[in-house]
Amino acid sequence: MARLPFTNDIRTLRFLAGEMTQGDLGERVGVTRQTIAAIEQGKYSPSLEVAFRIAHVFGKPLEAVFQWENGTG
Amino acid sequence: MAFREKIHWVAFVTMLLAFGWYFLAFPWRDAASPGALWTAGGMLIPLTLGIIVAMTVATAIMAIRNRSEVNLAEDERDRAIHWRGTHLAYYPMVVGTWACIGLIFTGAPPAILLNLLLAMVVLSELVRIGSQIWLYRRS
Repeated sequence: MARLPFTNDIRTLRFLAGEMTQGDLGERVGVTRQTIAAIEQGKYSPSLEVAFRIAHVFGKPLEAVFQWENGTG
Repeated sequence: MAFREKIHWVAFVTMLLAFGWYFLAFPWRDAASPGALWTAGGMLIPLTLGIIVAMTVATAIMAIRNRSEVNLAEDERDRAIHWRGTHLAYYPMVVGTWACIGLIFTGAPPAILLNLLLAMVVLSELVRIGSQIWLYRRS
């Protein structure tokens, strides 16, 4: 699998949100725990809708959760 | 390992064992005889029943052991994995179909045509399920 051109701070944001589990976040976003784990690890690129839903759960703008990596196309 | 992934493994191993037995046990030396088609049919009926029973039992056991995941709805990643697996399985299916069409014109015996079709369906299924297992791990 090709490496995704962006990183994310979901793990940190979960920790800051009272150590929210991947399962809890998945439930609130409407995806499985495995999908949250895959997004966190940079293995899966979520849809724009799921990305916005994740940001919404943390009360953050999208760019505070996902960051485009400099130097990538 | 997620419940969905385990179910894929069950399907993959069951198909591999069941059809592995079928293709090894089929009397290939008599494949051109008129009775070969019925021999194949006679083998496929218990084989199909065996697959249904094995998958039902294995799925039920896994469902009991993974109750929290049984009713989880498919999400966008699951759907993407399924689409990609099905897309990859399309290629062996098309190659097999054309090979079968070619064999029809050579006057190949019905049992050979049946086994070729069966092999392509099994191969396509193994590609579909196998690629989905791989994608569950890697994406």
